[in-house]
Amino acid sequence: MYVFQCEDSLDGILTGVYDAWASHYGHKNIQLSSDKSGEIMLFNQYITVIPDFEKSRKVSRTLIRRLGIPFYETICKCAMADGNCKKLSMDKANAIYQAIVMALALPEGARVLEYLAQPCISCIFQLCRQTDNEAHYMIEFIRFAELESGILFSMIHPKNNVLPVVAEHFTNRFPLENFLIYDATHKIAGIHKVQKDYIITDASELNIELTKQYSMDEQEYRRLWKAFFDTIAIEARINPKLQSQNIPKRYWKDTVELA
Amino acid sequence: MNFTADFQSPMKITSTDFGPASGLSSSIMEKLMILTDAAKYDVACTSSGVDRQGDGTGIGNAKSCGICHSFAADGRCISLLKILFTNECIFNCSYCQNNCNHDIPRATFTPEEICTLTIQFYRRNYIEGLFLSSGIIGSPTYTMELIYETIYKLRTFYRFQGYIHVKAIPGADPLLIEKTGFLADRMSINLELPTSSALKKLAPCKSRHTILTPMRQIQKGITENKNELISLGMSNGIVKSSMNISKGTIPRFVPAGQSTQMIIGATPENDFQIMSVAEGLYQKFGLKRVFYSAFVNVTQDSNLPALPQGPPLLREHRLYQADWLLRYYHFTVDELLSEDKPNFNIYLDPKCDWALRHLEYFPVEISTADYKTLLRVPGIGAKSAKRIVKARRGSRLDFPDLKKIGVVLKRALYFITCSGRMMYPTKIDEDYICRSLLSDSSQIPKEIREQEYRQLSLFDDVSFSS
Repeated sequence: MYVFQCEDSLDGILTGVYDAWASHYGHKNIQLSSDKSGEIMLFNQYITVIPDFEKSRKVSRTLIRRLGIPFYETICKCAMADGNCKKLSMDKANAIYQAIVMALALPEGARVLEYLAQPCISCIFQLCRQTDNEAHYMIEFIRFAELESGILFSMIHPKNNVLPVVAEHFTNRFPLENFLIYDATHKIAGIHKVQKDYIITDASELNIELTKQYSMDEQEYRRLWKAFFDTIAIEARINPKLQSQNIPKRYWKDTVELA
Repeated sequence: MNFTADFQSPMKITSTDFGPASGLSSSIMEKLMILTDAAKYDVACTSSGVDRQGDGTGIGNAKSCGICHSFAADGRCISLLKILFTNECIFNCSYCQNNCNHDIPRATFTPEEICTLTIQFYRRNYIEGLFLSSGIIGSPTYTMELIYETIYKLRTFYRFQGYIHVKAIPGADPLLIEKTGFLADRMSINLELPTSSALKKLAPCKSRHTILTPMRQIQKGITENKNELISLGMSNGIVKSSMNISKGTIPRFVPAGQSTQMIIGATPENDFQIMSVAEGLYQKFGLKRVFYSAFVNVTQDSNLPALPQGPPLLREHRLYQADWLLRYYHFTVDELLSEDKPNFNIYLDPKCDWALRHLEYFPVEISTADYKTLLRVPGIGAKSAKRIVKARRGSRLDFPDLKKIGVVLKRALYFITCSGRMMYPTKIDEDYICRSLLSDSSQIPKEIREQEYRQLSLFDDVSFSS
């Protein structure tokens, strides 16, 4: 078995798909892996894939042309997911590769996504759901603080790389705001300037201290919000279990009202 | 309720540390707490039903799935800034804490204050929009005018394109209700109590007539608006809404539909009566949602039950489950309840209860049953049914496959076969299935598990009202 080891990113995985395809080892003899900690097997041959934007773009173009945008979006969402979930039956990159191989061999290829009984498809389904769910949680629970400069700042800690989805949502929602969403897990930031599109950028150098200099009104609105939050609950129905079922505890620290 | 402690705390905002430019007066904290507390018994906090992209000139958009932003200590979703314009009220509804005979702190917002709070909360992503209701101040028409003025300002001056839910005040000038409907996403008028005799007794200032008249008006408005949009080729029923107040195009009228609410357990109606009313509202008034609010006795009025065991939450839960069966699962009330069996089973959810009484339809074969039949299987929801229909096109599904695509088999396993086989050797027998289901204590509602001291026989048609 030839194992193509790719970087855990969309470009990394799609480059892996390109290299694996171009290798002509035969699909049955090929596996992709995005898991660095994976065990090394004695009779496998390991090939390191170097992410290459050109190769990745070629694969993207082919997928969109042959299988359509919804299929491509599914692959993207799957690549954005955190592949370290223990319940997963298959490596993330390998599931993507297998699904692409299967889809391109069929006349109506995009329909393979409906074949949920196939291991690679069920894996893709599970990972997409993971990304969708967390992106939705983020859109719900993310909180902005107004800084002295008037910029809205938010810090999040998502397991999956959902920042593009989140930034896109707020770009449409707040066209006249400057905002910055910092994903502290992946050390990247989504930046939006008034009436522009958003960009995603590396933020490993971000000065966290600067993001704590709030505007004059900020603390007042936080207090008003907390007061609203405490008052809206009905005493006779208090139900902490239901509350933490609906807003998982790991998101609490980035909110205002539950932190 | 003691607010005084809060008023004197450093929380109080003065105009010096909060410039007048921000539009907030010194008593904003006090008002917010009073008018939130006064609004909290209204259940609806949903922001669903309308898809709208921002037009780039203001702030906000809307998603038809609705977005929750937090969950309060009672576990209920917080999606909208749910407040009253005022808790002054000339009415004397005995179940309501704002009734005019009650000695409580009163407060009234200004339209400007509500706009500022909405925008500032919205841009911090605390909320999805505004849910504005009000006590009756002066007259119904005057109250409606204040609500209209507020959301007009929010939509035009602040160019707010997020979600707005407002109450239509029964008895207000129909013209005002119409004008408000062109600015709001959802409107609601609370039915309050399921029967008109109960309404007469507990809310003497309201009547079925004053409640149903504006409800009918809004229903007509929605239909006419849809037809108008279709005739202009702007719509095929599912219109992407835009905030087009100043653009001279046809605006949308209450695009997210109307809803209502009934209080459960304040009066002696049974579940069959309540669900029949709900079914009528869906069919005859085209309502989008009916909400059920477990009665909380806040006024200690002698006309009302004391409820020492707390609000009837399990009953409320069963009504919501049944409500979903009406709206999404093609059930009718007559299938679920009858004059002879007027209340829901407290041990089993309404669908499971129905299935056990109709074992002649089961087991259902996963590889061939149509979508509507799958929907009737206990434990299979709309999402699971859709996934099954898709997944079985590609390959034959077995029980492990069902698990993989996210179908929960705990309840379903007694009612389905995959390629003719059941998951375990089980009997299609009412007693057997019921005992098996209830032997798993997680399937029994918490409220009952905790009543261990009481001996209960499984098939007693226990009524919820104590």
